[in-house]
Amino acid sequence: MSADGEKLNTDAPLLEVENLHVEFDTYGGTVEAVRGVDFTVDQGQTLAIVGESGCGKSVTVQSIMGLIPMPPGRITAGSARLRGHEVLGRNRIDGKEIRGREIGMIFQDPMTSLNPTMSIGAQIAEPLQVHRGYSATDAFAEAVHLLEMSKIPEAAKRARQYPFEFSGGMLQRAMIAMAISCKPSILIADEPTTALDVTIQAQILDLMQDLQKETGMAIILITHDLGVVARMADEVAVMYAGRVVEHGSADDVFYRSAHPYTVGLKEAMPTNDPALQHELKPIEGSPPDLFAPPRGCGYCARCPHAMQVCDEITPSDHFLHDHHFSRCWLHHEQAPIKPETIYFKDAKA
Amino acid sequence: MLSYILKRLAQGILTVWFIATATFFAMHNVPGDPLTNDRAMTDTTRANLEAKYGLDQPITTQYLIFLRNLSRGDFGISFVQENREVNDIIREHFPVSAILGVLAVIFAATGGVLFGALTALYRNRFPDYLIMFLVIMGISVPSFVVAALSQLSLVTFNNLIGFTVLPVAGWGTILHMLVPALVLGLSTMAYLTRLMRSSMLEVTSSDYVRTAKSKGVPATRIFTRHQLRNAILPVVTVLGPAIAAITTGGFVVELVFAIPGLGRYFVEAVQQLDYTVIMGTTVFYGAFLVFMVIIVDVVYGLIDPRVRLET
Amino acid sequence: MSELSASSFAPIEAHQQTQVISRPSLSYWQDAWIRLKANKRALVSLYIVIGLLLFTIAGPLVWQVDPAIQDIEQISQPPGTDRGATIVPDYEPWFGTQGLPGSGLRLAEPANSQAVRMQWDALPGANGHRVYRNLFPVGSELAYGIPLAEFLNNDTLYFEDRLDLQPGRFYYSVVALDARGQITDQYQSLTVDLERVTTLQEALERGLIDAADNIQIGDEIELAWHPLGTDYLGRDLLARLMAGARVSLFIGIGAPFLFVLFGVVYGSAAGFMGGRADQLMMRFADFVVALPFLLFMILFKIAFGIGPGESGVFPMLVAMVVLLWPATARLVRGQILQIREQGYISASQLLGANTSYLIMRHMIPNTLGVVLVTVTFAIPSAIFTEAFLSFIGMGVAPPTPSWGSMSNEGIKTMLTTPHELFFPALFISFTVLAFNLLGDGLRDALDARMRNVE
Repeated sequence: MSADGEKLNTDAPLLEVENLHVEFDTYGGTVEAVRGVDFTVDQGQTLAIVGESGCGKSVTVQSIMGLIPMPPGRITAGSARLRGHEVLGRNRIDGKEIRGREIGMIFQDPMTSLNPTMSIGAQIAEPLQVHRGYSATDAFAEAVHLLEMSKIPEAAKRARQYPFEFSGGMLQRAMIAMAISCKPSILIADEPTTALDVTIQAQILDLMQDLQKETGMAIILITHDLGVVARMADEVAVMYAGRVVEHGSADDVFYRSAHPYTVGLKEAMPTNDPALQHELKPIEGSPPDLFAPPRGCGYCARCPHAMQVCDEITPSDHFLHDHHFSRCWLHHEQAPIKPETIYFKDAKA
Repeated sequence: MLSYILKRLAQGILTVWFIATATFFAMHNVPGDPLTNDRAMTDTTRANLEAKYGLDQPITTQYLIFLRNLSRGDFGISFVQENREVNDIIREHFPVSAILGVLAVIFAATGGVLFGALTALYRNRFPDYLIMFLVIMGISVPSFVVAALSQLSLVTFNNLIGFTVLPVAGWGTILHMLVPALVLGLSTMAYLTRLMRSSMLEVTSSDYVRTAKSKGVPATRIFTRHQLRNAILPVVTVLGPAIAAITTGGFVVELVFAIPGLGRYFVEAVQQLDYTVIMGTTVFYGAFLVFMVIIVDVVYGLIDPRVRLET
Repeated sequence: MSELSASSFAPIEAHQQTQVISRPSLSYWQDAWIRLKANKRALVSLYIVIGLLLFTIAGPLVWQVDPAIQDIEQISQPPGTDRGATIVPDYEPWFGTQGLPGSGLRLAEPANSQAVRMQWDALPGANGHRVYRNLFPVGSELAYGIPLAEFLNNDTLYFEDRLDLQPGRFYYSVVALDARGQITDQYQSLTVDLERVTTLQEALERGLIDAADNIQIGDEIELAWHPLGTDYLGRDLLARLMAGARVSLFIGIGAPFLFVLFGVVYGSAAGFMGGRADQLMMRFADFVVALPFLLFMILFKIAFGIGPGESGVFPMLVAMVVLLWPATARLVRGQILQIREQGYISASQLLGANTSYLIMRHMIPNTLGVVLVTVTFAIPSAIFTEAFLSFIGMGVAPPTPSWGSMSNEGIKTMLTTPHELFFPALFISFTVLAFNLLGDGLRDALDARMRNVE
């Protein structure tokens, strides 16, 4: 049973995104920000979406939430289904609001993401008043309780304060409290720790996991930090240039990376293991210009194993095993080489 | 909050002193003896005036006398209307200008906020274009032309209806105040509309509005609690100087609509080179404006908690 | 999916295209210029501004009419009026025509702009007569108009009107006076249409004809053309507008340039020095801001010794500069402070840049945008101020033309000759509008942050 008391069909995925395409009209032309994204999230699961800046991860989740202004944005194809109900372009499913009720969201910079002229308590109370019809006083009391749940000391006093009186870490906790106030089934966290100190990062992530255990909600975590992924994620989707290039369980993606980009990301991670004495290995080059997206694989220009076909045709999603996929021509039966760093499905474990 | 107010008040007094000093030295740069004009003056009057203002004394002494009189609230006696104290002139005519100015500011502020918010709501649709067109007209056409034209339209309107719906000139009832106040506030309203519009647009694309949307807050509530409350801040900031502009620019409207306000008397005093009236009115106006700016700052502090809680 | 050939899987040369630049990179100014051009309103405004400058500078070379010359025959004429005039003999005094046929109030000869000659028979019971003239018909209210002459006996029964005769329609009345010389209700009215005439002498003097043209009495000639009409003194409106443009734009552009310049120097100094000096300088600027602007403008004029009714272009300029620099100073100082904190300044310093390099290469270019926008907005405000002050007689005074003083004169005859107000007011509005829209466009083009808005 979910926190809402609904009967769950634990086989069916909670959220299914299929072939999502999102474009933007800008004064410089049309940008294809999301070019065919698929992923699923199961109940109580944590999905991490990883990728560098500009790969389309924020746009993806914001389209699901309906936060992309339409113009200049446009969803040109695809669907997103929450418990089987289409969510794109809709405000409610089953009579319940999607935003704030079914799905909660927290953002990267808590300082700018909160209204400077409203008290924290009032802002946390707001969704309760809107979605659950709480009175202002009841909602405020619940807000204090939520602040306590988020481990903010002196919650009652803090609730009356304003955002500028909080530190970054505390603000993020308040944001989390705000996002889960109506007990959503999914919490989307868009780079929640990027703007915070490392020690605070750990606390916030722990808080999120604790809340997940308590409420049973799923988490979609967007990040470019592999360390965060390793800590939190059950499932991982790696995005590049508007597409998911590899997805599977966290173990699969980390230990059996099947895409050159994932491998590159791992190798670019700095490590303090004294045994590994080599230079930082960044990935040369930069992502493609999405005003004129490449016909083939977006990673082609930077890939050490690129083949002719990679430049010409978009690779399909190759199944490896279980639910581990890689969108790379290297896994095509006709691909001649099998680089060592890449995991192949018939490889010996 | 209290310390904030006190600090502003102290600054204000200093500013008024500066204005008074500047006025004094500006006036005393006028070539010639302030008393020698074409007006015939009795010797006794002349002697009295000279004694009172120390006109035969060195300038520093005169300045001190001036300051001393000022601190007592004594602006002196009109050089032209020999029996009238400047204080009386101010007392009689300033309330008129003040009412006119306050009404004009109310019109300008409400109109500006309302129309600015509307244009942001209906961005790039018809109401936006219409309002922005009117705004551009409002800031381009000189105020005296607007004043004259509006008076003309009023006359025509009254003739059409058959009786005087709104009086065309003069002062007395609230009906007398409406059109002049509207005309006076018009250009400021246009300016505030633009300001509110750009402020609203900036706020609308802000992160916290995005958060509010992600919480599923309905559009009306986002509008009032998140957008409006934050967008109005720059408008309030500008209100102080706007009040200044309106009050000092009031004399055209006063002239055209034959309103017995202080502005009109100031212009007359200038034309007649009535020094005490000029000085007194200038300092008084200056003090009034400083005071108004302080009030606006306090109101701003009430709306934006950051200002009153930070030092 | 089609079968892929083996060659498709041949490896690509590495590093073939790690950095393909698909779009040319633009400098900040190039980018701003493109965006400005894309903004149609701003572009049109730019053209209007350029047109105005041409009008002011090159205009008098094209339209070489002296703005001070009075064309007496064409006073307060709207544009497009007929300017034909018949040549008549020079004026000679008239003392009534003997044996004039007809009875009652009648014209002795056709009325023209040289003289209107009328005669009447004594009204019953009159001890004298008074002659009136009106622009409107005498209605039931007996609004006779302006009195022109009074005769206290019945000996003089003729009158010649030479006062301010303009082509058009007048309504003359002769009213009977009683024994005490008061007007009675006995009157006679005459509707008179005036024709425009001029003499050979005058036409020659004014250069309307050459002696060689051999014009005779009775011929029609054309008077001087006034494309925008004339004012109440018969002066060509177009020429006056050009002259007025010079004054209005001189102040309107000159003053902003000067006080912005001063503001930039003051503000950069304050921003650079920082600390105590900065605080003091800004405190002083705050004081100047607190001075009531218009009052002090007027005060300055007086302090310069210029009374009401006299022109003070230079003092006005000085006053504006002295009173308006603080806003720019504050703006520039804010920019400098902001820029100083930016990463690229520290980076540049780390690379060994010295102070003057930083100023020239980083700070000034980044403030230029803000300054440019400020100037563009300051100009219409200055034009308004000048027009406003001239309007109340505290700026530029007649005969020096300025758009503001011309509007002032125009308002007085707004109902009868609206063109005298319309054109100056139009020019003011257009100029102000153009600069405002241009300023808007510049701000949008230069401030990348605002780009997504609007």
